[in-house]
Amino acid sequence: MSSHAIAKPQGWEGGTSPFGASTGKLFMWFFLVSDALSFTGLLAALGFMRHKFADIWPNATDVFTHLPFTHAHLPLFYVGFMTFDLILSSVTMVLAVEAGHRCDKKGVTLWLGLTILGGAIFLGSQVWEWAIFIIGSPEGAMRTMFVEGHWIQQVFHGANLQYNEYGHTLYANFFFTITGFHGFHVFSGVVINIITFTMVLRGVFEKRGHYEWIEKIGLYWHFVDLVWVFVFTFFYLL
Amino acid sequence: MEFHDSFPDYEKLAQHDNVAGVSVRKRLMNVFWLLCAITIVELFVGFYWSHVSHAYNISKTWLIIVFVTFTLVKAGYIVMSFMHLGDENKLLRWTVLGPYCLFVVYLIYMVTVTEGSYSQTYRNLIDPALKMKKEAPAHHEE
Repeated sequence: MSSHAIAKPQGWEGGTSPFGASTGKLFMWFFLVSDALSFTGLLAALGFMRHKFADIWPNATDVFTHLPFTHAHLPLFYVGFMTFDLILSSVTMVLAVEAGHRCDKKGVTLWLGLTILGGAIFLGSQVWEWAIFIIGSPEGAMRTMFVEGHWIQQVFHGANLQYNEYGHTLYANFFFTITGFHGFHVFSGVVINIITFTMVLRGVFEKRGHYEWIEKIGLYWHFVDLVWVFVFTFFYLL
Repeated sequence: MEFHDSFPDYEKLAQHDNVAGVSVRKRLMNVFWLLCAITIVELFVGFYWSHVSHAYNISKTWLIIVFVTFTLVKAGYIVMSFMHLGDENKLLRWTVLGPYCLFVVYLIYMVTVTEGSYSQTYRNLIDPALKMKKEAPAHHEE
């Protein structure tokens, strides 16, 4: 390289990255910025619809009251558990990134494995919650439904995209769209983590001399956690 | 095939030794405990809100302010600490954060001027009808 590069040119003259980051990491950030904006769009839409139908919008404390293996009435308990699970898998991921910075293969294996476990638990929880939401309560609620060419009053249990027993139709639609979109991100994150796990075991990164790949998939995984923080607040808590 | 920048090894920039690792881990665990604590507080507030707000007649706006603040603190710690954005250089940091500052300005505009005032008008129009529906037993469709 020329003497110009040794003098550490700042900015855009070439020879260095103005961002001080590798191309891969930079573009992971750019992807996350755009992906976050699509979640922001969904959550903003949810906010406006909630405001518009505020009087008939159900409280999450009345809807999400179940806990697996029990008949206990514990509002938001399980969602809280899911949140802790995701925070926990987030911290194991950041510890995997840290182990990667020390090129510690054993550490990366351990923490990445725990991250995969946390992600799998979260996915299972979400499947269970969807199932409970779709099946609904034995009491159900009265709905005006369009059946075989007639509008009739009928008790409806659970939820689909047309009717749900909890409140406004949009409530179930937003639930399925937002948690589904997020759950799909978690799913792809777990798949990417598993692929990376096998790469770590095969020693791909040792050969490469650095574990920056862990840092990049870590960014994605933390992003998934970040989105859940917002979904948790705006869908479940408020 | 492997990609490598022809200039400095940015991939190895964040690497550190075992000694530095101890303090880094300690900092990360502190963030983790903070996130847990905030989540527990959030759950408690969410759980007891309806009782407290009825007893003391507090407006829901306060609940929204409290939750949004908690959420932004949590998000800030995740992005700055877990995603290491705080350790990146200034240009990258603002390339990521800039679009959201812009979005927040737009969101405020939407809430106060366009969409927000529309749904407020809609609510004022529709409210009496909704209340009637709500009061009528076994007929609260939608």
